[in-house]
Amino acid sequence: MNQQMYDLCKWAKDTALNNGATDCRARMTRRRFVEIRYRDHKPEVVKEATTRGLNLNIYIGGKFSSQNTPDLRKDALESFIKKAVENTGFIEDDPYRSLPDPKYYEGRTEMDLQLSDPEHGNITAEQRHKVAKTIEQVSLDKAGDKVISVEAGMNDSEWEEVILTSNGFKGAMQTTDHWAGASVTIADEGDRKPNGYFWAGARSFEDMPSVKTIGEEAAARTLDLLGAKKIKTESLPVIIENRVAGNVLWGFLSGLYGNNIQQKRSFLADKKGKVVAGKLFTIKDDPFIKKGFGSRLYDGDGFPARKRTIVSEGRIEEFLIDWYYSRKLECEPTTGGMSNLIIPPGDKSPEALMKDLGRGIHITGFIGGNSNSATGDFSIGIIGKLFENGVPVQSVAEMNIADNHLNFWNKLSAIGNDPWKYGSWLTPSLVFDDVLVAGM
Amino acid sequence: MNHINRRTFLKNSASAGGMLLLTPYLSGSMLTSFKSAQTGYFEREFGIDDEICQMLLEKALSKGGDLADVYFEHSLENWLNLEDGKVSRSYGNVLLGVGIRTVKGDQVGYGFTQELTKESMLSAAATAASLVNESAGTVAQSLKLLKTQNYYPFDPSMVEIPLESKLPLVKAINDKCFALSNHIVKVSAGFHDSTKRILIATSDGVKAEDILPRNFLYASTVGEKDGRTEQSWYNFGGRRDFSYYTEKLTDKLAEEVIKRTEKLFEAIQPPAGEMPVVLGPGVTGILLHEAIGHGMEADFNRKKISTYSTMIGKKVAEPFVTIIDDGTNPQQLGSINVDDEGIPGQKTVLVENGVLTSYLHDKISAKHYGVEPTGNGRRQSFEHYPQPRMRNTYMLSGDANPEDVIKTAKNGIYVEDISNGQVKIGEGDFAFYVSQGRMIEDGKLTAPVKDINIMGNGPKMLENIIMVANDLELHEGGAGSCGKGGQSVPVSFGLPTCLVKSMTVGGTQQKGGAS
Repeated sequence: MNQQMYDLCKWAKDTALNNGATDCRARMTRRRFVEIRYRDHKPEVVKEATTRGLNLNIYIGGKFSSQNTPDLRKDALESFIKKAVENTGFIEDDPYRSLPDPKYYEGRTEMDLQLSDPEHGNITAEQRHKVAKTIEQVSLDKAGDKVISVEAGMNDSEWEEVILTSNGFKGAMQTTDHWAGASVTIADEGDRKPNGYFWAGARSFEDMPSVKTIGEEAAARTLDLLGAKKIKTESLPVIIENRVAGNVLWGFLSGLYGNNIQQKRSFLADKKGKVVAGKLFTIKDDPFIKKGFGSRLYDGDGFPARKRTIVSEGRIEEFLIDWYYSRKLECEPTTGGMSNLIIPPGDKSPEALMKDLGRGIHITGFIGGNSNSATGDFSIGIIGKLFENGVPVQSVAEMNIADNHLNFWNKLSAIGNDPWKYGSWLTPSLVFDDVLVAGM
Repeated sequence: MNHINRRTFLKNSASAGGMLLLTPYLSGSMLTSFKSAQTGYFEREFGIDDEICQMLLEKALSKGGDLADVYFEHSLENWLNLEDGKVSRSYGNVLLGVGIRTVKGDQVGYGFTQELTKESMLSAAATAASLVNESAGTVAQSLKLLKTQNYYPFDPSMVEIPLESKLPLVKAINDKCFALSNHIVKVSAGFHDSTKRILIATSDGVKAEDILPRNFLYASTVGEKDGRTEQSWYNFGGRRDFSYYTEKLTDKLAEEVIKRTEKLFEAIQPPAGEMPVVLGPGVTGILLHEAIGHGMEADFNRKKISTYSTMIGKKVAEPFVTIIDDGTNPQQLGSINVDDEGIPGQKTVLVENGVLTSYLHDKISAKHYGVEPTGNGRRQSFEHYPQPRMRNTYMLSGDANPEDVIKTAKNGIYVEDISNGQVKIGEGDFAFYVSQGRMIEDGKLTAPVKDINIMGNGPKMLENIIMVANDLELHEGGAGSCGKGGQSVPVSFGLPTCLVKSMTVGGTQQKGGAS
């Protein structure tokens, strides 16, 4: 634990208590980041900075406020805290508001999740420039004479936090991340200029995919968008690609959250223990994946991280309920947010799935759209490829899918073997039967 | 309603029932001169004088570059929220720091720091300077204060509105909503206010200061009727003085949100496929934001990656279509006295009588095209470098009556409220999500519709605007924000009722089937 950050949190928490707060949670964060972008074989953007901030949750009985400041000079901070406590006094008393019962802090697994790359500090400016410059070149080469523009880049950061509460919670976390990718624009018919992208990331620099892979993938994905048009409205099987599956899954998950359930904005509020989706639909939460983007030892309330099964073969096993809404709902808390979301993968590649289906749409991107957490209705624009006889034949755009989540996840008929690696949602490709795709 | 985070545009929700009715060109009667009391803030509070600005600009250009700027910011943000009948939480956030930029052609070096010490600021300037390695660039010998108009005058003593003043407003919403309908089961409400103080100094000798207020009062309700649950959201706000938030306004807000929730109980899913779409007046201007606004941001065009990059001077729409992006509308959320590069707030005509006239420029793109900047260089905060961004984007009124527009559509969808949208710049393909609307059947408005995504293509959609009514409204909300390149800035919209010949409606039933 960073001693300086710990000392400041402790001082801030004590200052709040000395000024009339009955409880306090202090959280300090610090982040150092570097961003390099290349275009036309020269740096387009070079950006670098360190940020830090203190967040204080102040409780006076059931009166509550949460305040952030970047100004950590002690005299400035002292007057900030005094004023924050004074202002909290004007808020109405909420009988459900408190720090968690400390018994829920117990039982934390202590292990090294390897979230911080010890070599991060040794990355040089030259290395970063080389990554960005090389990806640009690889994408240019791959996209060939159709290319209009390639923007390639690398971002990396180191981040740490320290959290202390007046009822005994202590937490500290350090992470690093590294991202590299490119956005490619190419010429198509008329004034259409398809733009595609590929970005990949890893906790450790050495785990990054090669610049060749990244640059080629960005260009290939863009070339795939050539000649897109809308086709006639039709019911078809669709494969939603791994990296975009979260755009639809998100709307389902919104119904699982305690705040939506308590506020009567959840279409899943009365569905716990019930089957709402097909047998293939299982969602797990695993906070202990080494080097995972969502990995952690404690959650936002300070509860020890643990593995959970949220949905099992279509049946809802657990809601996502934080401390505050557990009190309002008069139930046991679980966790207020997912760590690494896992949908257990199947054993077929997207290409094999296409062969099995024969004809359908491979959805590789979404545009616009939204989902209503109260009703489960959603509607979202799609980008992708029509495939026939298992082979992609036509890019599609300006098309849309719409359904209700209580219906849609029952159509899940196969799952790919390709969980997405570059994020905290490890979604594989998902196949849905009989989806109405709106076009002409 | 919960919303998907989107790269391009996200706002919480809004309405077509905007209250501010505009004639084609806005009068200047609301404008006042910039109060002298608003200048000198960073010198008084943090000792940032011209000498320090000059020193940082010199450091930023010490290794070459065409121009440099420094951008100091001190922002205070507050949220006050009501849930289950109690104003039980408040959130506060402070932003303080300086961002320093070095520009060479179209290249940007950027450093920033939250510590306004000489050492930290010089270090940030050195980061920006590291972009180039040539002989030093030139910094003007002195800074001259830019005189600007004030499009959002407010009482400076209200920079921080006391909690005890805001609390009764929020509390009143709850009681009014429950009193208006016995279907309502949950009400949440809140007040958000922020004030952003900025100081900009540029290597060509311009100094500009501003205070930008942003505030809104919102209500969200959940209703239950005959086994159906529906929710809606509404807000009033903008760059307002606190005196805007009256009891009358809380009445209006409660009435609006309840009316919307009640209507949704009757809503159906429309058929899917291509059909005529009529956009009602007001917040539906999001259509322009997505279909043309983003594509006209000049960074995308100088890189030739926008579908509009070869269309300046060409006819893109019927002669009755004129589209404006404007930083000068009184109290509108996207208005700016000065942009974040020190260029005065102004109005830019994107499409004049059907012809594409101007992109939205920052300094980099203006230099690229050899034109004057248009005051569209905006940034989220001192942690970000400016990019060409929209302000308030709207279409001028046409001649038609709104009723005739609906009649002409005959069968299709009437859009009253849009919650979010997104565009692909290069293809011009865009989408927006309809949270409130109606079916048009045989030239008349019939059953309500909701939760549908509508897809289109920007240039095709412009060609397909076949009728524009005489009822332009600007949206009167304070929650709209636009995302681009990881930066969010407040924007607003406006539209008169207009008819688009055909767009793709994302319903759940085949056309001709049951709906």
